[in-house]
Amino acid sequence: MDKEVTYRVGIPVMGVRGESLGRLEKVLLMESRHQVTALVVRSLDSMHILPLDRVTELNAAEIRTNVTPEELHGFPVFDPTQYEEVPPWFFPPGHHIELGALVTIKPLDVREQGEEDALTRRAFMGRSVAILAAAIGVSLLVPIGGYIMAAATTPVKDSWRDLGVKLQDLPMDEPVSHSFRAFSVSGWMRVPEERSVWLIRHSGVSDPQSEPEDKILGLDSPLELANSDPRLTVLSPICPHLGCEPQWHKGQKLFICPCHHSIYQLNGKRIGGPAPRPMDQLPVRIASDGSISVIYEQFAIGIAAKKRLA
Amino acid sequence: MGHKIYAYLDERIRISSLMGFLLNEPMPGGSRWAYIPGSMVFFVLILQFITGMMLAFYYGGTPDHAWDSVNYIDHLTYNGVGVGRLIRGIHYWGSSIMVIAVGIHLLQVFLWGAYKRPREIMWLVGVVLLGLTMTASFSGYLLPWDERAYWGTIVGTNMIGLVPFVGEAIKDAIRGGVGLGALTLSHFFTLHTMILPTLFILFVMLHMVIFRRVGPAGPFSGSPEKLEATKDTFYPRQVLMDAFGMLGIFIFILALAILHPPGLESVANPSNAAYNPTPAWYFDWIFELLKLIRPEIVGVVGLPVLIAVVLIFLPFIDKKPVRSPFRRPFAVLSTLFVLTAMLVLSLMAENGYKKLVDVDRAAMLRGQTVFNTAGCMGCHTLFGKGGKIGPDLSEEGLVGHSVHWLTVQFVNSKAHFPDSIMPDFTYLTPQQQHDLAMYISSLGRMNWPDPTKTP
Repeated sequence: MDKEVTYRVGIPVMGVRGESLGRLEKVLLMESRHQVTALVVRSLDSMHILPLDRVTELNAAEIRTNVTPEELHGFPVFDPTQYEEVPPWFFPPGHHIELGALVTIKPLDVREQGEEDALTRRAFMGRSVAILAAAIGVSLLVPIGGYIMAAATTPVKDSWRDLGVKLQDLPMDEPVSHSFRAFSVSGWMRVPEERSVWLIRHSGVSDPQSEPEDKILGLDSPLELANSDPRLTVLSPICPHLGCEPQWHKGQKLFICPCHHSIYQLNGKRIGGPAPRPMDQLPVRIASDGSISVIYEQFAIGIAAKKRLA
Repeated sequence: MGHKIYAYLDERIRISSLMGFLLNEPMPGGSRWAYIPGSMVFFVLILQFITGMMLAFYYGGTPDHAWDSVNYIDHLTYNGVGVGRLIRGIHYWGSSIMVIAVGIHLLQVFLWGAYKRPREIMWLVGVVLLGLTMTASFSGYLLPWDERAYWGTIVGTNMIGLVPFVGEAIKDAIRGGVGLGALTLSHFFTLHTMILPTLFILFVMLHMVIFRRVGPAGPFSGSPEKLEATKDTFYPRQVLMDAFGMLGIFIFILALAILHPPGLESVANPSNAAYNPTPAWYFDWIFELLKLIRPEIVGVVGLPVLIAVVLIFLPFIDKKPVRSPFRRPFAVLSTLFVLTAMLVLSLMAENGYKKLVDVDRAAMLRGQTVFNTAGCMGCHTLFGKGGKIGPDLSEEGLVGHSVHWLTVQFVNSKAHFPDSIMPDFTYLTPQQQHDLAMYISSLGRMNWPDPTKTP
């Protein structure tokens, strides 16, 4: 190992003829290239940047250059904002520069193993740190993702509900908004909720509006296909456009949504307005005594497909 | 790509200069494993922040929802993995590990003599952070709103009330009234999730800013020249050591969370006066010490004041520059004495607590069948259902009867209560008696209904 040499900031910088150019003020470097590019020399009147390729000899007591005092003034004047702290990998083996009393940087790696080795070692340690950090981060973020998704993907549990009304009590060819009590579940809470459906009892199968539009267009799922009845159509009260509640207008014999004026016929067929699909038909069962049960399904809003919210 | 982003940022926010400042911190005497405790505390704090935010996602901070929401978190699964219990487990064990890490960090700074000039202010900020840690664990204790939480907080706040003149007012201010209720819970929740994290961030930053101003203390031995010659930068070697330490502590907390998930006792019941509250394990020694000091007020007020005074004035009393513990026998011996005393007192306290039966899950479930078929509900009430002749068994597992006591009770209750009218269930096989005892021991402690599976 070389004898340790310290270049102190403030040592004289000598010109080509051995005359003083000034004193070393700072060391400039190009961080992206990991390379010292210039020295800042303080002469009597100002500071100048002296490119390193003009330095001929580094010496613990002085720095020698091939610059003349007159030439020095041709070099750019030092701009203080360009100053960076000297990083540890700069110093050649066995050498270092002290920047004042507070900042002394002398890396172990460079001194002991030479710059080439040190950089490899340093990169290796840096990569190891990144791997460890990634290991912790991933094993923490994966359960957190699951934790957030666990509630988000809680299945909507809906089952057959008896509406407490009998088919024979309903008026013919006239929608009835029937309310019933249900629960909405969010997390640990079950909140009682009032829900409603449209019940439409058909006088005859021959009526062109007795066949739900969903069925005609083939939008129904197997659940709805398996549970339908030609005597009764049950429609969801929710407008498939943006989730408002269409109202039945007796005079016009149409469902009209108050929000954006989507217009539907008795069987849910859309005949006007922005809605992307007909009103949603719900699965229905009618017992032998005429009592009606439905599954209150909910569907995605604003799309043409009848996609059940799971 | 990465290089371009880096260059872009460097030109605009001078990122390389910033990174250089953060990472090239000089460390006299080089990197050491001995320097990792501070980073460990920092890491666990971050872990608590993250898991705490996650818990707050699903937590309902009112007495009629808090317990239900914690039970909900406990039952949250994703693809069959109990993620809710895992996150809660990390937060629960994280708080214990944080207390340990803070203790180790404090002890090391003391033994290394690193609190001495010029680091007195950094030490004081550290003492504040110690207080924040203890307040965080105390305030978090109440949030599950189970029996342990409720009664532990009753006792803890009553202790504050003993302080002369102002105690009663402070206690009522903390509780939000004379009693413990909805306002206490929202006060503690706000303290735990808003006030304390804000203070933590401020004081941790202050701690670190001061640390960078005065620099690390370095080893307590070695000449300045030698320390200078072996100087290293924070990055990469020390960072790598810290990262290994963090991974180790993370695996440790994860293992605790998986192997010993936190329990949830039955919901806070202010009328259950028989409940025997115990503090968190790191307060055990105070609990035991308070039993020894009479009059009580001396211990309740004197002990925290004494601890605070010692910690706050230490760097201003002990002004000798000598740092090596080998040349500070008084400091080392008194540390050993305090640690031993804390250990002995903690063991005494743990020994004094009623041991609850270690419930075997399979036996408990078999015992549940025995309970339902043997006709116990004819006389006993369980969670609001059943007969009124015998005592309510909803929280029987918290009473602390041994398995032996319970089996004797099943077959010969007059051995315990001469006037007992309970029939002798001698027809139960020894296996059934054991299973039933396991089930009774679980009541009020575990096996709660799963709220994610609504009927």
